[in-house]
Amino acid sequence: MGETTSIKDSNKSASSSLFKRNVRKFMNNKLAVLGLVIIVVITVACIIGMIVGVDYGTPVLTDMKQAPGNGHLFGTDTIGRDLFARVLVGGCYSILIGAFCAVMSSVIGAILGALAGYFGGKVDMILIRISEIFQAFPQLVLVMMLVAIVNKRGLGNLLFIFVFTGWMTTFRMVRNEFMSLKNETYVKVCEAFGMKKSNIMFKQILPNVMSPIIVSTTTNVAFFILQEAALSFIGLGVADSTPTWGNILNAAKSVSVVTNQWWIWVFPGLAISLFVLAINFFGDGLRDVLDAKQQ
Amino acid sequence: MDNKEIILNVEKLNTTFISDRKEIKIVKDVSFQVRRGKTLAVVGESGCGKSVTMNSIMRFTGKNAIVKADSIQYNALKDGKVTEYHLESIKEPNGPEMRALRGPDMSMVFQDPMSSLNPVYKVGDQVAEGLLQHNKGMKKDEARQKVLEMFRKLGIPDPEERIDCYPHQFSGGMKQRVVIAIAMICNPELIICDEPTTALDVTIQAQIMDLLKELQLKEGKSIILITHNMGLVAEMADEVCVMYMGRVVEFGSLEDLFDRTSHPYTRALLRSVPVLGLADGQKLETIPGATPNPADLKGGCEFADRCSECMERCREKTIPMFEISPGHRVRCLKFDSYPEVD
Amino acid sequence: MMIPMLLVISFIVYYGLQLTGIDPINFMVSPEMLSSNKENVEALRESLGLNDPLIVQYFRWLGNILHGDLGYSFDGSSIASVIAVRLPYTFELAGYSLLFSTIIGIGIGIISAVRQNGIIDYVGRVLAVLGQAVPQFLVGIILIQVFSIKLGWFPASNRVSPDATSALADAFFHLFLPVLTLTIGMVAVLMRYARNTMLDVLNSDYIKTARSKGIPEWKVYLKHGFRNAMKPVLVILVFRIPALIGGSVVIETVFSYPGIGLTMTNAIVSGDYPVVLVTTLIIAATMLICSFMVDVFNALLDPRVRLGE
Repeated sequence: MGETTSIKDSNKSASSSLFKRNVRKFMNNKLAVLGLVIIVVITVACIIGMIVGVDYGTPVLTDMKQAPGNGHLFGTDTIGRDLFARVLVGGCYSILIGAFCAVMSSVIGAILGALAGYFGGKVDMILIRISEIFQAFPQLVLVMMLVAIVNKRGLGNLLFIFVFTGWMTTFRMVRNEFMSLKNETYVKVCEAFGMKKSNIMFKQILPNVMSPIIVSTTTNVAFFILQEAALSFIGLGVADSTPTWGNILNAAKSVSVVTNQWWIWVFPGLAISLFVLAINFFGDGLRDVLDAKQQ
Repeated sequence: MDNKEIILNVEKLNTTFISDRKEIKIVKDVSFQVRRGKTLAVVGESGCGKSVTMNSIMRFTGKNAIVKADSIQYNALKDGKVTEYHLESIKEPNGPEMRALRGPDMSMVFQDPMSSLNPVYKVGDQVAEGLLQHNKGMKKDEARQKVLEMFRKLGIPDPEERIDCYPHQFSGGMKQRVVIAIAMICNPELIICDEPTTALDVTIQAQIMDLLKELQLKEGKSIILITHNMGLVAEMADEVCVMYMGRVVEFGSLEDLFDRTSHPYTRALLRSVPVLGLADGQKLETIPGATPNPADLKGGCEFADRCSECMERCREKTIPMFEISPGHRVRCLKFDSYPEVD
Repeated sequence: MMIPMLLVISFIVYYGLQLTGIDPINFMVSPEMLSSNKENVEALRESLGLNDPLIVQYFRWLGNILHGDLGYSFDGSSIASVIAVRLPYTFELAGYSLLFSTIIGIGIGIISAVRQNGIIDYVGRVLAVLGQAVPQFLVGIILIQVFSIKLGWFPASNRVSPDATSALADAFFHLFLPVLTLTIGMVAVLMRYARNTMLDVLNSDYIKTARSKGIPEWKVYLKHGFRNAMKPVLVILVFRIPALIGGSVVIETVFSYPGIGLTMTNAIVSGDYPVVLVTTLIIAATMLICSFMVDVFNALLDPRVRLGE
């Protein structure tokens, strides 16, 4: 046996085989794979719809409230716009809202959690008090309150409000992890070597917390999509010139629409439920794989 | 088998655990007897199946375990008459037949007193619970008096106050006394102690062991003591059963085991005990290798990989048990000139 | 701890209201008083202290609230009179939902743990997965469609029918579907927590000790198992109450149910800020009371907390 592999190479091959094992483990979880497939299919369909430029905005008053058929795959809505186009483009916006808010709130929550967990003391106390004030409200009510104050119903404002009110759970989780990890020996070694605090926090400790952060970000995508849907349904979300799955459902506030134009709420409703279900399955599978790795 | 002399007779006990559709046999063909009024020590490394054996006898093993035996016979002696209970044929692990025996006939003292007591109930109530279960007509006051008596007997100070305290208000040693109280309150004949002092301080250990010894001598209880501490064995045991990887490898009286040690594993165990008075420069012996994973065992003698006297044929088939003197049995091919026993 | 939090929250909300640029006089005096004092608006302002610094105004407003003077909404009605009617309705909705979801959720969770992989466990897990994916308001819409429109068993909206024969029956029929909707959502989450907590408890050593006394299985599960599972489950329950209140805000819209949630929603849509202010405050106060209850439960159910470890 002549050749010796360098340590770097053997580490690389060890971690790639670990990765392969995790992928295989994930693949065994049929529900998780199904979830991933559904997520990809829906997202791609929506993006294609957006790029191709389907007409989601032109009201054709003669075609109002038509059932599916006659060139309208999902029928038309209350003012004659093609529902299929609206669901596709709406999906783009809903998924965008979900993903953006999930990622941003995780980033902010993680940074604040790292600061609070690592430094402790006054910093921690202030941040915890702030998060407690936020968490004293039902999140939806908080969002509604801010919508009332901000008053302009743009997409940007909505994204800001969602992130502003949604960082607390990630914050708590990261803070707790940091509090327990900061006493680990390797951290003390880094401190003794005079490593910069930001380096220690983000390059040493944070990678160990990545797994739960990734899992919770995934589930948060579902949460924000649902929250946007609820908000738009009651009429406080994005204005309906920009379709989202939620504000298409706004029409279903009227009982006559619910009864007579079932397609207006069934299709977007199905889209949301399917997508959120898929994310939940995928997130569960992800958690199984990532948790095991930590052990 | 003399039913008056033998209180518990176990023949060919096998316990298999099912997890993820895989079956792993933890206890293999275990056989031993417990003599009435004597202490049997069951020794072995962690993971050798001692606890699982005892849990199987008491049927604490849970839904994913299959317990099979040729015989688990408990002989109750009351007013000079013996009643035989065939535990291996009781189908329901937590059914009325088993439950009738748990408490008044057989009881168990568990390893970790911290987690063995229910945190939300007062200590006195937890001890009285077993008493009231098996004495249907007893009133609460009467039960309370009996609990107080037991506390005094076990050396728990201020019993009148302690009886209304919660477990978290006790120290480790006191908690273990409470666990012993629970085990003793219905006056059972057979007490199984699963490493009762491993989680405690050494000084407390001594106290608890003295207590158990006293109970045995004064009241004639039969005790099964599970331990990996050979020093404890030397102090407490009348008979010893050595287990390795789910099998009994040696069984005999205390003298048999210490003076006429036979199985290579037993010998290694005895040599690895730190003893005051080791000569200068004499090294502490360890058993080479590590405890194998039960799922990895191939066949033949389980100890083969770590045995200094292993031969080729040790790996071929399951080793039978040989009786090298009355009451002293060894599972090792070195003694195959002696008669085989089941 | 509660009081300072409430002060901070109410101040933030009050300040936010000021940010919107409305004139406080519009919600502090009744419309009649305003119209009858047109010439002396400036004097009125002075008498109300509207030229004082914000902090002073804030505390005066707070004092008013605590005296029951909740001010006036933009449509002229006294906020207090509206709240007095609608707050109890929301409490009814949330209260019954909490009650039923506790019983059903914890019940199914515990049975699932005791009889793992049985039918109830399986069905429960499927329902839990679905209940967490389908938006709550959609569940409400579907229930309306099936039970109200198609079957006609229950009314689709409101809380009182003018021609109702008995107040109790009236309440029952109007509350049934909204409570069912909220319960489904809560049960989906609670069931899983209850099951997992019970499973953890059943693996504890003291369960073995309990069995070693020879007590019957039901006592093991109930007295030893459930009693220890109760505390973490109830803590989770109380933590889910904010989500319940948030959910009821949406459900009130679905069912046009005249509660605080619907009031707040309509107020925001129509820009009726005084009402927004008061309703937000009420909800905040309710939440803080709930978190206080968590501490009470903790002490009641766990002697380690009560007596100090």
